[in-house]
Amino acid sequence: MSADFCGAREGIMETVIFWTLSTLAVVAALAVVFFKKAINGVMSLLAFMLVLAGLYVLMGAPLVAFFQVIVYVGAVLVLFVFVVMLLNLKEASVRKPFAALAGAAIPAVLSAVGVAALAWLALGERTLAKGAFLPPAPGIRQLAVDLFTRHLLIFELTSVLLFAAAVGAIVISRKEKKES
Amino acid sequence: MTLYSFVGLGLILFAVGAAGFFLRRNAVVLLLCIEIMLNAVNLIFAAFARYLYGTEGQVFIFIIMTVAAAEAAVGLGIIIALYGSHRTLDMSIIKELKG
Repeated sequence: MSADFCGAREGIMETVIFWTLSTLAVVAALAVVFFKKAINGVMSLLAFMLVLAGLYVLMGAPLVAFFQVIVYVGAVLVLFVFVVMLLNLKEASVRKPFAALAGAAIPAVLSAVGVAALAWLALGERTLAKGAFLPPAPGIRQLAVDLFTRHLLIFELTSVLLFAAAVGAIVISRKEKKES
Repeated sequence: MTLYSFVGLGLILFAVGAAGFFLRRNAVVLLLCIEIMLNAVNLIFAAFARYLYGTEGQVFIFIIMTVAAAEAAVGLGIIIALYGSHRTLDMSIIKELKG
């Protein structure tokens, strides 16, 4: 798969798949923002995560796509659905008027433009302006070797963070006992 | 389908997530918008990881995914505690820290 599928020469098929998936991703993200009920938003986010997994496969990062499905769809979204069902939210959140909508869109657009300007400045010397095709991606084996040798400390620190977060979540969300 | 396509898509998704964060009042939806923004950043990381032919971008993605999972767990715990004390998740009502 990595030899011809991710080669330097792009097929028309990949372009079609990219534009379809990116349109679906933007639509799903907008649905998360504009659905009234929280559970509809969670379901839209599920579609968003799956579409992003497809984009990762298209980008030549199948391992990231696997983790996307396992971690996000399998763990995080299940947690979201669990909490939404547990709290039994009845009232829909009242939507703000249009002026507030515009006021909210301005910082978002400004942040996106700022990030774009930073990326343009940082990459100005490289030959991105030609619209270079993406080269083939590194393999899973190289990724695993790098993760467990050069980035081992970060890996271990992340596991400690995850453990602390799990314990902290339990401590925060459980009911307080009476002072004895 | 160049690098610019992926970076542009990531920027659009980040803008959508940020706009939703400022727009909505439900605390659960705010967490969902944070997840959208994290995923947009992940997309840009993956695009640059492929363009530069390095593994650091994908390692970064794994770390970000783990941190996002931790953040979701703690955030949902906070939401449960908030609902227990205020009986609502409307962030325009919960504003004791606003001063």
